[in-house]
Amino acid sequence: MKKLLLIITVALVTIIVPQSLYILDQTEQSVVLRFGEAVDFEDKPGLKYKLPFVDDVIFFDNRILDLNADPKEVISSDQKRLIVDAFAKYKIIDPLKFVQTVKSERMARSKLNSILESSIRQVLGEEQLNVVLQEGKREAVMSKIQSNVNTEALSFGIEVVDVRIMRADLPAKNSQAIFYRMQSEREKEAREFRAEGSEEAQKITAKAERDKLITVANAKRDADIIKGQADAKASNIFAKAYGKDIDFYEFYKSMESYKNSIANNNTNLYLSPNSEFFKYFGNLNQDNR
Amino acid sequence: MLKSLANFTDNPWGDNNSGNGSSGGKSTKGSASNNVLEIEKLLNKYKKNFSGGKGGQTPNSPKSIFSIILIVIALYFSTGFFTIQPEEEGVVLLFGKFSRVTAPGLHYHLPTPFEKLIKVKVTQINSIEIGYRNLGGDRISSRNEESIMLTGDENIVDINFEVQWQIKNAYNFLFKIRDYSAGATVKSAAESVMREVIGKSKIAYVLSDGRANIELEAKTSLQKILDSYESGIEIARLQLLKADPPIEVIDAFRDVQTAKADKEKVINQAEAYRNDILPRARGEAQQLIEEALGYKESVVADATGKADRFEEVYSEYRKAREVTKKRIFLQTMEELLQSSNVTIIDGSLSKTGMVPYLPLTNTQNKK
Repeated sequence: MKKLLLIITVALVTIIVPQSLYILDQTEQSVVLRFGEAVDFEDKPGLKYKLPFVDDVIFFDNRILDLNADPKEVISSDQKRLIVDAFAKYKIIDPLKFVQTVKSERMARSKLNSILESSIRQVLGEEQLNVVLQEGKREAVMSKIQSNVNTEALSFGIEVVDVRIMRADLPAKNSQAIFYRMQSEREKEAREFRAEGSEEAQKITAKAERDKLITVANAKRDADIIKGQADAKASNIFAKAYGKDIDFYEFYKSMESYKNSIANNNTNLYLSPNSEFFKYFGNLNQDNR
Repeated sequence: MLKSLANFTDNPWGDNNSGNGSSGGKSTKGSASNNVLEIEKLLNKYKKNFSGGKGGQTPNSPKSIFSIILIVIALYFSTGFFTIQPEEEGVVLLFGKFSRVTAPGLHYHLPTPFEKLIKVKVTQINSIEIGYRNLGGDRISSRNEESIMLTGDENIVDINFEVQWQIKNAYNFLFKIRDYSAGATVKSAAESVMREVIGKSKIAYVLSDGRANIELEAKTSLQKILDSYESGIEIARLQLLKADPPIEVIDAFRDVQTAKADKEKVINQAEAYRNDILPRARGEAQQLIEEALGYKESVVADATGKADRFEEVYSEYRKAREVTKKRIFLQTMEELLQSSNVTIIDGSLSKTGMVPYLPLTNTQNKK
């Protein structure tokens, strides 16, 4: 009898204890289901109690969870196509509502994904492409998407902590157009550099040639002035000297000129004996000429 | 995603255990089962001793059962010892609830159903490659979907960067955020941040002098985002490895650099030409001036000489005019006639009908 009691006690302990106690992990929150209906939730970790056999417990993560939206093509308000890829960080904040509406995380993710996608389309559809890219605006666009998603997500017990756009790129066809543009811009730039180079070079060359001409011309002018001064001075010196006796100068200069122009030249001279030089040639005392 | 869901239902720790080397739970379970085997061996030994030594006595005597229970309990509690390596931190949970963080060294926690240990490698630097994958050695494969970005002036750049992160707060890292794989949050946030930074920069800034600023700005915003998630992650380093124009247009960009060099070259050549001709021109100018100065000196000297000579002669002439004049005349004529071929023709001869015959060639050639 005593033995039977012991067996019953042991049986009760081994069956009832696991049925009524459970461990709630630090990373989890739990919802208690009574006959399949969510009646209570627990968000503090530790050893928890439930009604044995009657209550069922399901667990959800209480950490920040990640949702990656697949790349989608979106059209901005200026009719530019964008490939947008975003991720969201969310948290289950109301496990009871969560269980009642979406039941599982898997369901929640697929719902959240479509909400996120439509919200991205809607918000980006109202913006222009450069706004999405511009400083500060991207932040604003993202927080707008976040609050849009949040209004719907809260209804199934989820809070979206953050939405971030990862990629916001142009589709391949448009990329090609950008490449062409970039290429032609660079070509323009390169041409400009080369043209600037030859412009500058020509300026330098022309200036140098001009400087050269001016330098030489100035020097020629100065040289001519100097030569002129020299001639003037020489002429002055001659005038001073020769001016003393013009007749003698005439005679002297004639003599010198004869010598210079005729002498040492094998010149043939055909002279008349009547010249002054031959006064005494032929006959002495020829006074009767 | 499915995989993470499966983990979520089976194992509340997700991929953390396998992903981050925090293998506490598994290793404790393993050692516990080892201990069970040892206990069984001991029990068998005990039974043999009893049956062998005391013969008919049953092994179920209260004393022996008590000592078996004692040993079992002792062994059970001994499973709670654990060591934490210098690069790790241990996080202990009591019935799933966070209890304490332990420093490196030998520690004790209550055995399995009560307490649970998670080891976290806190000093380990983890690296994430974005835009490329290092295939080992020098081989790198690029990931265009990650590396091609749009700049603020609607150009496209090719960016590769590396993010290094470590766990700065094990508690937050384990309990505040769930990663479907190690560093996934860091990676998507880093991509998002880099695209944001590049998206508001001009291409010239990205390609040339903006790199350091871009790194700094991206790192700061990335850290801010991770802190807003209370992720317990610290960004140790964010490094731009490549910031190039896309491969499709890189030739055009290189040509711009060549054009810049060409420009310099042409200007330098022009300057060289200038430096060549200007000194020559100055030299030529100086030569002209010097020549003129020389001319001046010589002309004046010549004039002075001639004038002086004249004056000398003149002063002599004044002393005896007629004599000097005659002397000069005769002297000059003498000199003249000495060096010339003189033919004297008497005009009176023509009166007699004689015509002088002058062989011009002969006289010309006579020397």
